[in-house]
Parts: sequence; C-alpha cells; structure tokens
Amino acid sequence: MMTEHSMMEVAERYIAGSLSQDELNTLKDRLATDTSFANEFGECVNMLRGLQSGGAQKRFSNMLKDIAAQEAKPATKGRTITLRAFYVRTAGIAAGIAMLTSLTTYWAIQHSNKKIASQYSLLKRDLEKYQRSQNQLISNIKEQQTAPQAEVRYTGTGFALSNDGYLVTNYHVTAGADSVYIQNREGRYFKAYTVGYDQQADIAILKVEDKMFRFGKGEVPYTFAPNKRKLGTKVYTLGFPQDEIVYNEGYISAINGYQGDSSQYRLEISAYPGQSGAPIMDANGNILAMITGKEEESDGTTFAVSSKALARLVQSLPKDANLRLPKSNKLNHLSLEQQIEKLEYYTCSIKVYKK
Amino acid sequence: MQGSQQLEEYLLAQLAAGERTATEQIYKQHYPVVTKWIMHNGGSEADAADVYQEAIVVLYEKSQDEAFRLSCKIGTYLFAISKHLWYKKANKRQQDPVSLPDDDRQEWAYEDDVNAHRERENYYAQLNAALEQIGEPCKSLLKAFYHEDKSMQEIASGFGYTNTDNAKTQKYKCLTRLRKIFHNVQVK
Repeated sequence: MMTEHSMMEVAERYIAGSLSQDELNTLKDRLATDTSFANEFGECVNMLRGLQSGGAQKRFSNMLKDIAAQEAKPATKGRTITLRAFYVRTAGIAAGIAMLTSLTTYWAIQHSNKKIASQYSLLKRDLEKYQRSQNQLISNIKEQQTAPQAEVRYTGTGFALSNDGYLVTNYHVTAGADSVYIQNREGRYFKAYTVGYDQQADIAILKVEDKMFRFGKGEVPYTFAPNKRKLGTKVYTLGFPQDEIVYNEGYISAINGYQGDSSQYRLEISAYPGQSGAPIMDANGNILAMITGKEEESDGTTFAVSSKALARLVQSLPKDANLRLPKSNKLNHLSLEQQIEKLEYYTCSIKVYKK
Repeated sequence: MQGSQQLEEYLLAQLAAGERTATEQIYKQHYPVVTKWIMHNGGSEADAADVYQEAIVVLYEKSQDEAFRLSCKIGTYLFAISKHLWYKKANKRQQDPVSLPDDDRQEWAYEDDVNAHRERENYYAQLNAALEQIGEPCKSLLKAFYHEDKSMQEIASGFGYTNTDNAKTQKYKCLTRLRKIFHNVQVK
C-alpha cells in the first residue's frame, strides 16, 4: 500500500529518472494491474511536470522581460510617474503683475504668444518639477503599463473629434514636444502627432498614429455648438489634473474671454494644471469650448476657447485629413451621470515628452 | 551557410536551457523586423514588445522537447509566430475583426504551436490558481521550489525546518493537497 505522499515522491523520482531498477519494475507491475492507481499516478506525474515546466517557463519569461527592459533603455524612470499635486504655473513675468504663487516658469518665457504670457496661467502640469519635489512620494507606484520611453514632462487633457483618432487639445500643451502620447480610459498609451494648430487661439489638432485605434464603440457622441451660448449657461468639464479623470461644473460668466478676446469664454469653474484642453460641455451634450487657461489671482476664473474657433481650424485642415466634426448628438437625452460615463471614453490624458 | 546553421542550433540549445546571453542575442537580432511589422499593422510599440516576447516563449516551449529541431531559421519562426499572436490579439481587442494583409500561406503553418502554447498557458494558469488557494506555508514553499528554483536545503533553512528531510515531507504533503485543489479547479 502506498500512501498519498509517498506516491508523490515516487512520481517525482520517476520523472527525475532516479528510481532503481527494482522500484521501477514494481511500479510497472502495479500500473499494469491497478487501473485506479495508474490514473492517480498519471495525475501526479502530470501535475509535477506542469509545476516544473511552468516554473521554468516563468523564470524564462521573467528573464525575457528583464532583457526587454534593458533593451528599452534609457527609459524606465518615466514608468513610475503619477501625479497628485496641483501645480499652479505662473506665467506673468513679462507683464510684471503681482502673482499669487511664487513658482517660476521657464516655459512661458520661451513662449511667443504674448497674449497668454501675463497673469494668465496655463493649466499644464510640469511633471519634471513635480518629480523633483515629490520624489519620495512616487517610489511605490508601479501600475503604469507600457509607458513610453522618456520622462513625461507635461500633461494636459484632450478630447475626441472623431472616433478614429482625431482629437483636440491646447497648442501650448504640445508646443515644442518631441513626442506626444495620449493615454486612454484603460490606461494604455498611444502615440499621436499634430495635424494642425492655431497658435493664436491656442488649439492643436492631433491624430493617433495607430490606425486601429478607436476611442469608443461608436462615433463621437457629442456635437459642437455652432454659436456662442448665453451668459449664465451651466457647463461642466472632465479633465486630468491627476491620473484619474475629474469632473467639475460651473457657468459662463462672460461671453468674451481674457482681455475681451471674442474667441473665448470666461467661465466660473475651477480648473487645475493638467486640465488644459479639457472640454466644456453644456447640459445637452454640446461642446461649447475647450479650457485654455485661468486667471492668476482668482481660483475659479477660467478661460476657454470657443467651439467656433475650433471648427474654423478643423475646416482649414487639408481635405485628405478626412476629418468631419460629429453631427449627431447621442447625449442630449441622457442624465448627467450617463453623459459623463459616455464622455469618459472620448476624453484622454495627454502626455508630452521633451528630451 | 553551414556555419550559420550550427550557430542557430547552438543558440537554440542555450535558449532551451534558459541561458541569458544566447537568449539576449536572439532577442536583439530579430526584434527590429518583428516589431516593425506589428507597428506597421496597427500595433503600438508596447504591443509589439509584448507579442515578440510571447513568441520567444513559444520558441522556448518548443525547444523543451528533446525531439525538437527547427525546420526553418529562428528569425523566420519568430516572425511567423508573432504574426499569429498579433492577429489573435488584434482581433480580440477590436469589435470589428481585422484582416491581416495577405501573406504566404506557408507562414500560417505554425498554428499548432500557437494553439499548444495557449493550452499550456491555460494549464499553468489553473495550476497557479490552485497554488493561490492552497494556503501557507504550502504556497510559499512550492513557489520557492518550483518558481524560484530554490534547493531543498535553502528551503529548509529559509522556512525554519530542522532538516532537509522534514522540509521534503512537508513538500510532499503540500503536493498532495495541491493535487486535490487542482483537481477541483480543473473540474470547474
């Protein structure tokens, strides 16, 4: 009679080929005469083989991953980035206006768009700076998958113009970038390139390189308001001031934007760095505008470029871009929560890399 | 020509043994062609890297069979397997089936290898599921032995057994339990 774990032991030695000739003969006799033993013994052998080869394969796979990571140099550091801090970047050096924050910026100085460079703060997060100051906080975060191979420098928000990969964000988010990636709802990165921009209006249109990329299951569910909406219209926005999508709501507080700019709205809605390029929606699922910046001295005053300026840029694209703005609105009958749920698929985080 | 075939056989034998230098050489040599193709066919760089790694694992599994001899070059094999894997992955991801550009039918001949790989992965996943359910100290002990390739001496001292024999007895007990759980997992 063989106990269960001595059967395991015999199976192990059988696989290793270390049974003596006598033991082997006894085993063979038993296997030939006792079918239930033969079945059980077979199971043991299979399981042990599975454990051995599975373990070996696991070690091999790990080694491969290691090789792959080593080949993908000089990457790696960018993998562990995640942001929680809200950074208010100031851009007002040229204008000499008193600012709330003492953070300086090298970015706005290089920027030639004077309109933006005053007390106007761009809602783009400066990840590098964040990283330096918050290094100890990010050491344990490793959920990032397949991160592109450089450090993320800036992040913004973008939203779809068409389901097959056209999207829009601020010009100032992607200006001077070496490479731009979007991160979709599942956290996957896709490389994107700029197809057109309007520096004055601060709009850039991007396209995801991957031809099979789709934002969601169907066409883009919202439409773009052809005209400006009235004062007091309630609006909401979704953006990425952190790695998770964030909802905010407010209203149109002036029909014209910063310093009377008629291509913009002035809004009362809180916005944080990282929300540059976020869509401004009305209650019926129309895109009214896109957030571009906020007033330095106040908390809630935000400026957004109107959908009209956006449509103008889309029309100016070459015909072979084959981009048409969505015509049918699938959000207007939905509750706010349902609208947001749909919108999440068509809103993405934008990561800009500069070497 | 003769020389390059010998080199490939040598590399493959080393890869089968899990030897790093040879594996690295194979990895580097065929990476550009495979990833370029995948990225040309709608995959991202990350997709390409994933698929390519999996293809090398398929090659590794194949190479474990002593009777195995590759009938074509390593690069050809990896490329064909990668195509298969990418085709399946792309189809799974998109709601619309993707058709791959026409290629030689010849290259689809390794379908069996890919299927065998899938079955094996499935089997390992079930084994691991059983391993997760078994409880301590069995889980850590078996993982140390099979996944981390630790010797019984190391395990005995690491887990605080007075001698190797005690650790071995414990291991067999654990294996017996694992078999019961595994049996249930499989039935499910």
